[in-house]
This record gives sequence, C-alpha cells and structure tokens, in this order.
Amino acid sequence: MKQQEIHQFLKQFFQANDCELIEANEGYMIVQLTIDLDKELMNRPFYWHYVEKTGGIPNPAKLTLITDPNKAPSDLKGELIHFGAPRLHQLFSCAKRLSGYIRLYENIPGQVNKHTPLRPWLSMNVKISYQCDRKRDIFRSIGLQLINGQLVDNFHQNINKLSLSAKIPDYAFTLSPLIMPKSGMIRIENTIRQTLLQEDHQWAEEAKERWSKDLKLLEHFYEDAEDDRMESLETEKLALKEQYEPKINVSIINGGLFYLASDAV
Amino acid sequence: MTIQINFDQTWNEELLKRTNDDGPWANWELFQLALEVEQHSIIPEFEGLQAPKHLSDLTPLPHQLEVAKKVIEDMNGKAILADEVGLGKTIEAGLILKEYMIRGLVKKVLILVPASLVTQWAIELNSKFFIPAVSQKKSYVWEQCDIVVSSIDTAKREPHRSIINNLDYDLVIIDEAHKLKNNKTKNYEFVQNLKKKFCLLLTATPIQNRVSEIFNLVSLLKPGHLGSESAFYEKYKKDSRSVNDDEHLKELVNKVMIRNRRSDTGIEWTKRVVEAVTIDFTEEERELYDTIESLKGYEAEDNGAGARSPFSMITLQREACSSREAVYYTLQNMMKKTENPTQEFQDRIQMLGSKIMAITKNSKAEKALELIKKADDKVIIFTEYRATQLYLQWYLKQNGITSVPFRGGFKRGKKDWMRDLFQNHAQVLIATEAGGEGINLQFCNHIINFDLPWNPMRLEQRIGRIHRLGQKKDVMIYNFAIRDTVEDHILKLLYEKIHLFEKVIGDLDDILTKLDFGNMDEYMDDIFTNSNSEGEMRIKMDNLTSMIEFAQNLKDGDRYEAAGNSSIS
Repeated sequence: MKQQEIHQFLKQFFQANDCELIEANEGYMIVQLTIDLDKELMNRPFYWHYVEKTGGIPNPAKLTLITDPNKAPSDLKGELIHFGAPRLHQLFSCAKRLSGYIRLYENIPGQVNKHTPLRPWLSMNVKISYQCDRKRDIFRSIGLQLINGQLVDNFHQNINKLSLSAKIPDYAFTLSPLIMPKSGMIRIENTIRQTLLQEDHQWAEEAKERWSKDLKLLEHFYEDAEDDRMESLETEKLALKEQYEPKINVSIINGGLFYLASDAV
Repeated sequence: MTIQINFDQTWNEELLKRTNDDGPWANWELFQLALEVEQHSIIPEFEGLQAPKHLSDLTPLPHQLEVAKKVIEDMNGKAILADEVGLGKTIEAGLILKEYMIRGLVKKVLILVPASLVTQWAIELNSKFFIPAVSQKKSYVWEQCDIVVSSIDTAKREPHRSIINNLDYDLVIIDEAHKLKNNKTKNYEFVQNLKKKFCLLLTATPIQNRVSEIFNLVSLLKPGHLGSESAFYEKYKKDSRSVNDDEHLKELVNKVMIRNRRSDTGIEWTKRVVEAVTIDFTEEERELYDTIESLKGYEAEDNGAGARSPFSMITLQREACSSREAVYYTLQNMMKKTENPTQEFQDRIQMLGSKIMAITKNSKAEKALELIKKADDKVIIFTEYRATQLYLQWYLKQNGITSVPFRGGFKRGKKDWMRDLFQNHAQVLIATEAGGEGINLQFCNHIINFDLPWNPMRLEQRIGRIHRLGQKKDVMIYNFAIRDTVEDHILKLLYEKIHLFEKVIGDLDDILTKLDFGNMDEYMDDIFTNSNSEGEMRIKMDNLTSMIEFAQNLKDGDRYEAAGNSSIS
C-alpha cells in the first residue's frame, strides 16, 4: 500500500463509520471518533465503564493521523501512519471485524404494475493459504445463485460496479431461494476443495521431502540415546510436524446475501 | 497427493444466525474496504521478503536482508547467525521474526538474551519493528503475551520453567548462544527441552573453536544434522580444534550457520585511533610496586603446603599499576582468608600497608582527568578492579566531573538506568570488566583502558561496545600503561607486536582460534609468575608473539586460498 492509498483508506474507513473528519488535508487528517469507534479502537474500557455508570458526558477521542509528514503542518502532533504501523493494522482488523456479514439489494426500483424480481445470491470471499514452513495466499470471490445453482468466480468484482442498497427498493420483490444458504455454503466449499485437489502441489511434495529429511536426521540422532530421552524425541518430532506439514487453510474474509436483478451478473 | 484442507466453519454458522435474526448487517462501504485491505495484505508468493515494506524507520543493510532471506528460504527457519560483532544480528533476527509474523507463520515467540540486554531487545523490537515484545517481569507474562523477552537465568528457574515447558513456541531466539556450547549444563538442557518450530541462535564468537562445541550447538538447532553423538565423535576427535580442517564438516556446518564479516559487507566503518599512553609512577607508587616485586617467591611459603595462593604477587603488581585502593582491598582479603597467619606474613602485609599509605596521588587518574577534560565529550573508562572504579568515581567528583559506575553484577533495571544516566546526564562511565559485555554505547566515541586485560579478546569486546554499527565518529582509544611494569610488557605485546588495535574486529577471533592456547589469561599469568628473570620473560613473550604471527599467516593463507590463489600453499 502506498501512502496515498493509506490516506484514502483512512478517509473511507472513518467516513464509513460515521466519524466526522474535523480536518482532512493532504498528508494528514484529524478525526472525531464516534463512541462506538472509540470503544473499538482506544482500548479504555474503564473510562467507558465509568462514564456509563456515572452518567457522565461521553467524550470520545480525536485522532490525528499523519500520512505524509512533509505535507502536514510541521508543528502538528499525531501518529505517523505507514504500512507497518500498528494503528493501521488495528483499523484493518477492525474493518474486517465489522464487515463480516452483509445483505444487500440491487437498487432497481420497479413500477407499480411491473415489480422487479430480485434473485438471491450467496457470496463468499475467501483467503486460501498454502502453508508448510512457508506460506502463500490467494484470494477468491465466489457467488452462487440460490435458484439455478449458477457459480460465478470473481463475484465481488462483478457486483462492485452495481448500485446496491441495504433496503429493498420500491416495487421490487425477492424470489425465494431453491437452494438453502446452508447447502449453498457446502456447494461453495466443495467447489473450492475441488479446485484445490486439481492443483499441482509440488510445494507440498517439497515440504514433505524437507520434513522426512529432517525426521531421518532426528531419528538417527536419537538412535543410541537412552530410553529416558525418548520423550524429547517425541517433542522434537511433533515440532517438525508443526514446522513442515503441508496444509491448506481456507478462511472466509466476508460475504453474505445479495439480491440481484436477473441480468446483473 | 492428499493434503489436509481446513475450512473455516465459524463464518457459516454466524451467517445463518444473522439470516434468522435479520441482521445486523455490515455497511457496504466498509465491506468493500475490508476486502480491498485483505487483497493488499495477501502474499501470493512463497518467496521474497515482506518485512521491509512494513518498516518505515529502518533501512536494513543489504547483508542483513540477505541473511533474513536465506534463513527463511534455504534454512527453513533454523539457523545460527554468527556475524561478527556489530553487524546487526539483532536486526537480522528482527527481520526474520517480522517476516514470519506478517506471513502468519509465527505467533508465540520466546527470546532469551543476557539480562543486561532484555530491555534493549524489547525496546528495539517495539520501536524499530513494531513488534509488541514484552520483557518478562511477572510469571503470568509467559502465557498472556505472545512475544516475551527474558534472560535465560530467569526462564530456567521455577516457577517459570514449568510454565515455559508447557508452551509451544513458534520461534525461539537465543542471543549470545555460544554460552550453550556445553551440553552438560542446566541452560543447555533447558533450551533443548523447549518446544520450538523455528529457532535462531545468535553468537558473535566463532564456534569453530572445538568440534564438540559446534556439535552441541548444531544439535540444539537441528538434532542429527551432524549425526548422532557417538558417530560424530568416532569420526571427529573430540578435541580436534578446527572445523575448517574437514571440508565435509565445514559444509554441513555452513548449511545451518551464516557468518558475515565486516570486510564482506562493504560498509565503511569509522576509524579507530589508538594511542598508547605510557605513564611514569610517582616515587611512592614505584616503591610499592618494587616492594611487591621483591616479595615474589614468598608466596608458596606463606601458604604452607605449597598450595598456590589465590592472590599471587603478580595480581598485586597489576593492581599496583591501577590504584593503591585495589592493592589495599586485596591485602585485606588476604589477611582475612589466611588462617593462623605467621608473624612474618603479618609483617609483610604491614609493610605493604605502610607503602600504600605513603602514596598521595594516582598518576594514571591524573592523566585520565587530563584526557577527559581535553576530550570535552563522553568517555568510557574501563578498569579491571572494583576498588579502582570506586576511587575513580570519587576522584572525578572531586574534580567536578560527573560519572556513573557500571558493573556486570548490576540488575537489569540498574544497568538500563546507568546507561541512560550516562547518555543524558553524566560525562563519564566507569565500567569494570564484567560490564563490558552486553551494553551498546555507540553514542560515545572515547575509551580509556585504565588497565589492560591480559586477554586480547576482552579488549576487543570493550571496544566493540562503541565501535559498531551506528557509530558516526572515529573511535578514540587510549591505553594506559605504567613504564617498566608488567603492564608495559603487555602493551608492547598487544600494540607493537600483534598490532591488535589496528585490526578490525573479527580478524582477532580468527587468529586466536587458530592458536590452541586454551586460556590466554593463564598463559600470560604463567609467563609473568614463573619467569625467573626479565630475560626469560622477554623470551617467552617473544615466543608468544611469533605464535600469534604464525597463526596470522595461516589465516592470511586461508584468505588467499579462498581467493583462488593456490600458489601460496
């Protein structure tokens, strides 16, 4: 992420969370947190406990964030935000935590005599991590139409450009799903598993090779050890397993239900 | 091939619950934002370093990046980092730790370092790497904090030990790992029993010293890499000196060890300016020194059955070169320790006592004061003796110069405090030998060696405190020696014969490991104690010098070979 992108992210993040940007200029911004976001970010449970118990006037914090010290006023005191900054990662994980589940309707109002039918889609955005003693990830966004079972890759990219709203638009109605969300999830999971099985997993072969090599050395090392050392042999074997065993972890970043007009995707 | 696939199910359940409850639902903007962020933080390749992008305040040097990459990609995260002093092993370890954390491969980390470095490690990891490392203070820290810095001596004690033994660590980092070369020690056993996925051992001392040492260290890291114990010693003699003798072994070791030298890094180091300061005794001081000299030979007699006195005359002589206080302190101890002292013995102590009383000033201290005033900057004084340290503190104070003491025995917090006082408030730091290790003082560039240790490696360590990465000025080193004393001999040896001070750090360790003295201290001690005449001493010193020169040539020979020039051999 470049500093410019970080600046953009910060702005969007606080706006999306209804925080007032007291000052927002190039290189820095001053943000008035909402009570909710103060509780999320500022780590002061005692203060909030106290205010709530005593009925005091809540005073959520202001944050001064600097993204480009050269452009910000030189006497401005604040947190320098860069890609490695703990604050930024706190905001990242906060954004993730607050946006795990969504339900949206495509914003195409119908007419009195011609209501728009909206079809249900289940969407899952996943991170697939290939892990041994090293790790790489890929991102996949899959959408499943819950009526005809149509599967769409890059689903998020597709709907990103649509106009979506949290409320069902006027003169529109949703079609009932034939596939229940629960079995929809299983379908998506199976699709992902299927693709994974078909991939070339040389990385895993190599990891297993490294593993068995180290295992052989380890066993050789304990060959003539006395019995009371066997426990530490087991410990070390387990550690090798932890280190090398290839596995694929699929975690869901976010997703939810989308009701879209027929020609949307 | 079948690979285990773990599919996170928690999300599914929560979504169903929210469909039932009709919310709460996220807002679209935040949803998009979160995805954008996630796509940014995805790392699509197994290879390459992500850590540098996350470090705004740190520009790692090329050799440090290379080390980090090599450890992760070629060594599977288990390595001995053996760079020469001052090349930034901490930075390398920090980079590796950061990389693993970013990639989500490491969460629980144990960092074992000398007590005096605990705080420094924690601060550096926090400030330079944004790694929330915590220095261990209470026993709940082990379990509650993910990244803990502690001294090994604390960690191996109960109740900590049992807690630690029950934890699974993703990464264990051990600084000054050469202290684990002996597999019979408690520390070794403790480290061996740690559950660890990845492991970094940091050491500045080359461990090619003895094959048994290298075997123990490597076995800690990667058991079996050098074979089983019995098979290993069958093949290599236990006392065989140099790993370099055996190409195969060398290759094996190099698979788990990285050693950068100053000369490889291409970094320009500031210069070392060394000045030998020869000082003349006052008459009274000379009198004390000569009296001790004349008492040589009585030592054995005083101790009855020929047992060697722990306080040899040579020790007293060296002390006399430092301060009268040092001599006095030792004499007192001698009196206390000797059961049923003979009248003669008491008389001798009495006589020395009166010589001490006659001394009115300390020639070295005066010279030191002069230098400190001239430098008009921060100065570190190293002395071997506590008594001298105390005296110097008093003396400097009399002359309006602020100073702080530093000793190995200080608790961690006190060490940090003293360092801080020195950096911000005092002009002089007076350190004893044990304080030389494990403190970084590169904000200072003057060292006075008030008395000289007999082991050149110790001198190297002293200088290494300030002549390291981050030192911006040339380093000034003043070596004090009193004319026509043992000290004078030492200085001549170190300074004129082996050109110690002109060498860069590291050359010396190589040279000394080529020699198999065992203990340089004892060797020197022997020369000065058991020589019957000045002439004998000189011859022995000459022998030593030529041995060192020989080793040096051997080393140079190595270098030519490495450069492909075989005509030398």
